[in-house]
Amino acid sequence: MRRCAFLLLSALLAATPLAGQSTVTGIRDLAFGIVIRGVQTTVAPADPVKSGRFYVRHRLNRQVRIQFTLPTQLARVGGGGNLPITFPNNSGIAQGTAGNSVPLTFNPNVAQTFNLVTSADFFVNLGGRVSPAANQATGNYRGTVTLTVTFF
Amino acid sequence: MRILTKVSAVVVAFMSLNAAGASAQSANINATATVFQAITVTGARYLSFGNVFPVVAKTVVVSDATSGRFDLTGQSSGNVNVSFTLPTNLTSGANNLPIGTWTGCTNGTNTTTGCTSFTPSAGATASAFSGAGALFVWVGGTVSPAANQAAGAYTGVVTLTAAYF
Repeated sequence: MRRCAFLLLSALLAATPLAGQSTVTGIRDLAFGIVIRGVQTTVAPADPVKSGRFYVRHRLNRQVRIQFTLPTQLARVGGGGNLPITFPNNSGIAQGTAGNSVPLTFNPNVAQTFNLVTSADFFVNLGGRVSPAANQATGNYRGTVTLTVTFF
Repeated sequence: MRILTKVSAVVVAFMSLNAAGASAQSANINATATVFQAITVTGARYLSFGNVFPVVAKTVVVSDATSGRFDLTGQSSGNVNVSFTLPTNLTSGANNLPIGTWTGCTNGTNTTTGCTSFTPSAGATASAFSGAGALFVWVGGTVSPAANQAAGAYTGVVTLTAAYF
């Protein structure tokens, strides 16, 4: 019976994710490019060039919880002003890498929990909206977007 | 009974371990934007052919005093694409006067001396604002009155569209 208990424990541990197998990686900046003073500009999460993108890998049939830390302003490089940025409630898309994975649109302002049903890894795309003021200082602006993933 | 208890203990121990084992990781990306001032486009001067006569084609070149000119302002040294919507005829009521062979030139200062030539009908042309945020665009063309061209005043519209790239 000790042997049975050992086997059971081994089987359960085999299904436990190893720390090295679960990752989150930022792979593309959310880049608005040139925006015009006084003109609101939106990047869609499906934009293949401008949207931000993360890659998350865990294990099939497990859960992950994702939570963004989003800026409310981008700071002018070199100082001299801030550029308001918002993230509409449909500006997140998560999609597994399997051929039958279906893209899921979500609100990036709210934590999301996903069950990894079709693939063990997935991409998270992020869009957003900047609203330059009519007298916004010209120049380059930058902010940081953080994605925290909890692996269950 | 002892055996079952042992097995249960093992399972409970694992579940506790698993719950405590949920791990979190973070990754960052940047959000970036470049703010430019808006582009303004002003039709500064008409492209004017003056009097023309049947079967005598008349050309206005960009350096002529009657060439068309657009004055643009925008971001200092910003790259800009310039494109045109051009008429194929000038009209006078129901009568048409063919126009074509468009020519163009751009410069950061208000002179055609040393300007950069381009063909307005060939699609978007890449240019750039001067350090002072100025761009001047001249347009010329040729009208070709027919032998039986009806007399009258003919007009058409040339539209310039500019966008940063």
